[in-house]
Amino acid sequence: MSYITLDHGSGGKLTLELIENVFKAESGLDSAVLGDIAFTTDSHSVKPLFFKGGDIGKLAVSGTVNDLLCVGAKPLYLSSAFIIEAGFEMEKLKKIVKSMKEEARKSGVEIVCGDTKVVENGKCDGVYINTSGIGKIIRPIEGKNIKDGDGIIVTGTIGDHGFAILNEREQLNLETDLKSDVSSLTDLILPLIESDVDIKFMRDPTRGGLAMCLNELCYRRDFGFEIFEEKIPVREDVRVIAEILGIEPYYAANEGKMVIVMDKKDEERALDILKSNELGRSAVTIGRVSSKNPQLVILNTKFGSKRVLRMPTTDKMPRIC
Amino acid sequence: MDLEVFNDPEIVKKLSETIKNKESSRINRTVKIMHICGTHENSIVRFGLRDLLPENIKVIAGPGCPVCVTSSRDIDAIIDLALSENVRITTFGDMLKVPGTKLSFQKAHSLGADIQMVYSIFDAIEQTRSSKKPNIFFACGFETTAAPTASALIDLDIPDNFFIYSVHKYTPKGVYALLKSGKINMDGLILPGHAATISGLEVYERFVKDFGIPCVSAGFEAADVLLAILLILKQINSGTPKVENGYKRVINYEGNKKAQEALNEVFFLDSAIWRGLGEINETGYELNRNYSRFDAKKNFGIKYPDNFIEHQKGCRCGEVILGNITPLECHLYAKRCTPEDPIGPCMVSDEGTCKNWYDGGGIE
Repeated sequence: MSYITLDHGSGGKLTLELIENVFKAESGLDSAVLGDIAFTTDSHSVKPLFFKGGDIGKLAVSGTVNDLLCVGAKPLYLSSAFIIEAGFEMEKLKKIVKSMKEEARKSGVEIVCGDTKVVENGKCDGVYINTSGIGKIIRPIEGKNIKDGDGIIVTGTIGDHGFAILNEREQLNLETDLKSDVSSLTDLILPLIESDVDIKFMRDPTRGGLAMCLNELCYRRDFGFEIFEEKIPVREDVRVIAEILGIEPYYAANEGKMVIVMDKKDEERALDILKSNELGRSAVTIGRVSSKNPQLVILNTKFGSKRVLRMPTTDKMPRIC
Repeated sequence: MDLEVFNDPEIVKKLSETIKNKESSRINRTVKIMHICGTHENSIVRFGLRDLLPENIKVIAGPGCPVCVTSSRDIDAIIDLALSENVRITTFGDMLKVPGTKLSFQKAHSLGADIQMVYSIFDAIEQTRSSKKPNIFFACGFETTAAPTASALIDLDIPDNFFIYSVHKYTPKGVYALLKSGKINMDGLILPGHAATISGLEVYERFVKDFGIPCVSAGFEAADVLLAILLILKQINSGTPKVENGYKRVINYEGNKKAQEALNEVFFLDSAIWRGLGEINETGYELNRNYSRFDAKKNFGIKYPDNFIEHQKGCRCGEVILGNITPLECHLYAKRCTPEDPIGPCMVSDEGTCKNWYDGGGIE
């Protein structure tokens, strides 16, 4: 007899297997590309609901907006469905709705429909939110034509969201101004989509972090990646918390970053566009596509050694988004 | 202290060059250096240190993962108790997925056994306060966790329904016995950074005396591990094996006297079964008579299985634990045996060799 475990929701290897074997679907892009339309959906169950840098409302809007951007779409409309626990404080709900509204305005989308369900007290952790989104494809970005030498860009420091949440949840009480990076990336990514740089692929590295994002991209493909530890931007406080908890920043969720596979010839121009926005100030190329070790993400350490960065197997930090 | 110094790429490169150019080149054979601490394996894999060593220097993981050497006999017995009596078992998270003969704690839990994960013995005692039934802490680990168990029993006000099932093991005697029996062999030993903080270094003098093996303690940063390897090679080249402290910022030669006193007060050393390695004299921490009121082995009708299976068919964890093969040489590794569904104990804990290799090994 097999059961669903928390690991099935980790965004790691077991999630991938669940999608393939039970849902009989392909785990491919962040949104479905339907002609000129991009369509996606995402549910959110973060604990705690309010955290430094945002709350579940902001997360629910930006998560879906960013998934639409990934396939080259301009995000336009969202739905929002709430599952609320009886006994949940009205003031908290109002606060969540307010931050959804603000984030929607910031990212240029309208929330056009919704649904509310209330379950008995104790049946869910306060509130869960599902959002679905529709965007207009500017140009489809579907992970085609990825080749040797293409650059891998990250748009900023990694692990901020995962470790900000853990820092609060585990009450590590470290004196730090670390906060979640949760943000919709319309202002950062739309100009890139609207330019003519050759974007091969985009994904926001949420659950499972950078390691999952890259592993999933080269899963059953004829290429792998070579990335360089020294190039990967990590905040000092994230490094410290990561060390204490024994979880590497590569596996921690991000909610306001993008990983972009870019044709080498356009890399510099793409970085210029990204860096002109506050959200992309520390954008940087962290490595390249390589056909030498297909399906493997090779991390070149700062000591000059090489190791494999695997797909995460078990969930080291559940319920973070 | 700023630990970054010990991960400074320049220092690490200098150490690896010195190992290559000055020491290993003087040795015309393969040198096998063993460590006996799962956290060392974790550092070696995470920093990719094997990749920085010359061909003839092999660093091998020995019996350094406490959950990996916990016998199925103990796992089976406590699971049987949990399924048949109204008791709660608490243990470390590492232990939950370790397979016994038929079940792991996790699988027993899904069959209705009351099994809870705890972070420490203190956590286990706290949980007991709000529980009405007997709580049995399945106490696993080497000196590093045996010492807190001892001090908790001495110092704390403990509820009447709290018990201990000790599978704590004493590292130095275990490794000595394995060397003596010829089950493991090595040219140098990296001493465990955590356990040696408690035991001190003196206990390793007889490794030098009886087997002529260089013994060097090491910390867990990249430079720490390479420094220990360098010191071992220097000893080999100079022909003067000795016990050397490569982790002076933490380890004293005498060890932690207070912790040692607590261990002696609470426990005595009895023979213990090490998973897949058999029974080894004076390596199992058992509760002294004055503490027998806590001893689950004495206060419950523990039924030990007549037949227990340490390693399932095809599983080569026994050989991995002894450092005689690498995980890659096991046919189950990464195929039928994965962290999600482990067949052998080495694939479970972050200290297990197979799990470490699986999560981020070198390039295969």
